[in-house]
Amino acid sequence: MDKSSSQRLPPLKRNWWLKHRFFKLYMLREATVLPLVFFTLCFLAGMVALLQGADSWQGWIAFMGSPIVLLLNLLALAASLFHAATFFVLFPRVMPIRIAGHSLPDQVTVAGQWAGVVVVALLFFWLLVRSGA
Amino acid sequence: MNTQQISTKQVSVKRYLPDSSAEPFWQQYELPVDDSTSLLDALNHIKEQLDSTLSYRWSCRMAICGSCGVMVNGIPKLGCKTFLRDYEGDIRIEPLAHFPVQRDLVVDMEIFLEHLAAVKPYLIDDNPVKPYDPKTPETYQQTPEQLERYKQFANCINCGLCYSACPQFGLNQEFLGPAALTLAHRYNLDSRDHGKKERMAELNRHDGVWSCTFVGFCSQVCPKHVDPAAAVNQGKVEAAKHTLIALFKG
Repeated sequence: MDKSSSQRLPPLKRNWWLKHRFFKLYMLREATVLPLVFFTLCFLAGMVALLQGADSWQGWIAFMGSPIVLLLNLLALAASLFHAATFFVLFPRVMPIRIAGHSLPDQVTVAGQWAGVVVVALLFFWLLVRSGA
Repeated sequence: MNTQQISTKQVSVKRYLPDSSAEPFWQQYELPVDDSTSLLDALNHIKEQLDSTLSYRWSCRMAICGSCGVMVNGIPKLGCKTFLRDYEGDIRIEPLAHFPVQRDLVVDMEIFLEHLAAVKPYLIDDNPVKPYDPKTPETYQQTPEQLERYKQFANCINCGLCYSACPQFGLNQEFLGPAALTLAHRYNLDSRDHGKKERMAELNRHDGVWSCTFVGFCSQVCPKHVDPAAAVNQGKVEAAKHTLIALFKG
């Protein structure tokens, strides 16, 4: 592409997102990845502990039960739910579903995604209850 | 109309007069307003009654021409579609963000026009069904369903508000930006068009759709409810498909 002669402004400063509520909310949505990274690391550590044997596994369970880890993982749960809420609303705009030439209303797609969350949550709950019994 | 309550409001305008002052400065104006006073009416009142040196663009005064975009309290708005009755206290008017300012509220939109031209926002059909014959001209036919696919994205009036709302364009001015990518998508969706392949080269690169991070503010400020963020992100799906198909075709 030929570089034109039109003027360019210097890039925005790093604090550009502090200027509007809308941008702060966007950054909050993006920041939900941080607690989720923590959860993923915990999960990976659990897998490694499982491979290493019973002692290691017990140690991991004790670690997961400590108040600060519980708190951080609760934060990760809240963050993932918040991210899901924002993502589910965006989804029908990015991939509008058309059936017989007509677009499906956004609310139907959003409700369908939440229904998916409920089904998966119930499945895990059932698995947990079964293994606990 | 005379029955409406007339009051006064203060408007602050960011002035930039490169001939007399190197730095921009704020100037306050007090003006009479009623419930029907738009920001464009206010600017016209300033120009005609208070200060003839003020420069700004406008034309149609009915949100068709897309000329009167300005920042109102930091948010991009069309002057003709913004009413002073909706604002309390000081109303701060600035030129559209992310564009070089020429004078007062007049910005240089050349870069936007270049990005627009780059995506070829017009019908491309190198192999029409029949050669054009003026005696029996054939028109393109399109069903209402085919029209529905792109209609929303065809409402863009090129006002540039979405560029002022887009932090990614503010961070990297080579980003093609919301309106250009939306119009590219609009023509890609058009059943009469066969130029998708040509446009994909522009769309499917870092400064094309992939610079968008779905901040979504462009769609919030769009005065014609075009939803450019949706169009750009639908463009990402198309670009991904394009890459995959190219991969298998070798």
